[in-house]
Amino acid sequence: MDTYNYRVVQQFAIMTIVWGVVGMLVGVFIAAQLAWPALNFDIPWLTFGRLRPLHTNAVVFAFGGSALFATSYYVVQRTCHARLFSDKLAAFTFWGWQVVIVSAAISLPLGYTTTKEYAELEWPIDVLLTVVWVVYAVVFFGTVARRKIRHIYVANWFFGGFILTVALLHVVNSLAMPVSFMKSYSVFAGVQDAMVQWWYGHNAVGFFLTAGFLGIMYYFIPKQANRPVYSYRLSVVHFWALIFTYIWAGPHHLHYTALPDWAQSVGMVFSLVLLAPSWGGMINGIMTLSGAWEKLRTDPILKFLIVSVSFYGMSTFEGPMMAIKTVNALSHYTDWTIGHVHSGALGWVGMISIGAMYYLIPRLCNREIYSVRLIEIHFWVATIGIVLYITAMWVSGVMQGLMWRAVNDDGTLTYSFVQSVQAMHPYYIVRLAGGLFYLTGMLIMAYNIARTVAGATVINAAIPAPAR
Amino acid sequence: MLLHHIPGLVTRPQAEWASIRAGQYSVGDCFFSYVFWLAAVPPLAGLLGTTLVGWRIAGGTPVKLTFDSAVQISIVYYVAILVAVFTIGKLIHWMGETYGALQPLGRCVALAAFTATPLFIVGFMQIYPVLWLNFIVGLPALAYTAYLLYTGVPIMMEIPLERGFLFSSSILAVGLVALVGLLAATAVLWGIGLGPSFTN
Repeated sequence: MDTYNYRVVQQFAIMTIVWGVVGMLVGVFIAAQLAWPALNFDIPWLTFGRLRPLHTNAVVFAFGGSALFATSYYVVQRTCHARLFSDKLAAFTFWGWQVVIVSAAISLPLGYTTTKEYAELEWPIDVLLTVVWVVYAVVFFGTVARRKIRHIYVANWFFGGFILTVALLHVVNSLAMPVSFMKSYSVFAGVQDAMVQWWYGHNAVGFFLTAGFLGIMYYFIPKQANRPVYSYRLSVVHFWALIFTYIWAGPHHLHYTALPDWAQSVGMVFSLVLLAPSWGGMINGIMTLSGAWEKLRTDPILKFLIVSVSFYGMSTFEGPMMAIKTVNALSHYTDWTIGHVHSGALGWVGMISIGAMYYLIPRLCNREIYSVRLIEIHFWVATIGIVLYITAMWVSGVMQGLMWRAVNDDGTLTYSFVQSVQAMHPYYIVRLAGGLFYLTGMLIMAYNIARTVAGATVINAAIPAPAR
Repeated sequence: MLLHHIPGLVTRPQAEWASIRAGQYSVGDCFFSYVFWLAAVPPLAGLLGTTLVGWRIAGGTPVKLTFDSAVQISIVYYVAILVAVFTIGKLIHWMGETYGALQPLGRCVALAAFTATPLFIVGFMQIYPVLWLNFIVGLPALAYTAYLLYTGVPIMMEIPLERGFLFSSSILAVGLVALVGLLAATAVLWGIGLGPSFTN
């Protein structure tokens, strides 16, 4: 009897929750440091500058990455009616990915960094990451090639697009000349380096944190709502529109810098255009869910999914607004950016991953979730956390922007930088509270899942025989 | 005047929504007897606060606006609130089709107007325009506004609770998008030189 490989899916799913707790704990700690800087205790590896890349790497690549591996391996098998291309290679991606994460968790606090945002890992780890990623692509596309269903479901298009593009982004941006073990210099210099970095950086958002998670949305929302995708045609159209548009939007991170003005304008225009394909995805998600209202009473997972899609819509509207040069002149380098990133990260990526894990993990070992009530509590705690976080960052961000640009009649600055830091203090405490709420939700989830899977074994699910 | 609904919205929101529904208010009723009056609270308080009281940032000298500048901003602020209430009412009316909740426009506008009540009232705090204080006081008001929305939608739109949850979430998402749009518009206007002028 042919069966699916659920083992590697379960491993990644469990690590999603473990790394989620770790990454968010680091986030909460550095949020506390911003409110009370003495919390670095004068220990170099506890300083904000070293822990912040650890936080971003842990939540994006460890938490988000594990969620993407788990869901893509599950979805590609289920929708292709085929077992993974190779169990050994799939196991290699799991252990390889964990080694990359642990190497990051050790090397970043020790101060090893390329200084490229979201690509801080030094060259030996980058090489390992590349190998793991290529094997991931082999397993994923190998499985698609073995499919028993002729049609390739749209979620696999999103996963495939994300895997290919992330490989391209990672390799090009990390091109570097090693000078010793754990030290290298980028092959790019000056403004080219900045442009390549933000071509990578923005598409890390666009492909890693958007296209991949849209793949999750296109499988788990229809499944949980038990309804077909609202418009399949729209899903295909917005896939192509999204991948074509995203790749050009990077320069909006470099407004009013040494980057040529025309390149900045191209980045701004493409960022504005990006609203259309983004909202195509949101509308498709919301409309698929909208027919499932009678299930909402008993199904808190649906609430996670609908709120995640709402935050996706909100933050993909906010992004283009902030890419407008005049708005960016105020918002750039302020906490408004941090708030925007977190409405995407906590609201969209976090909520949809959580919803998908609540769907996935009990099914993999054929158990009921330990407590539906705890999922409900998790939902409300997480939502409150996001709202506190975002509102605090909006207010402090706009205030920072206005204080920095305020000038007296004689042209001198009205406020010194440290005065703006002082004014941020109350909002940083509110932000910390928001983060604590969200982390508490993750801990509730970890408990609930631990109780669910305790003593259970992963099932051998049979692949359905093809209909003839 | 419809102001007599305010205490009930605080003490017994569900029953009060039912009595608002029973009132069958038109768009005109909502505006002339409720929104025009209550929506004036935040701009008036802000006018007094920014010109007479002022605020200190990081222990500096108090900042105030010139009277002319503050009046202009207050008028724009007032108009923006009126437009926002009507627009959200209109959007509720329009989105109602998706959620199988077709109600007269007046009722949809009433839903938007009465939901915003906590924000109108807490706007009084702008007489003391210290941002972090307004933020701390504003958060519970915002939370209560969300609560009023979630309780009000099923009652006013006459739909089951679960569908109401989806509908309310959509309205909230639209509200957040509108808020971000306003934020961006403000930044653009300020950027092209239409910002306030300060006294020195």
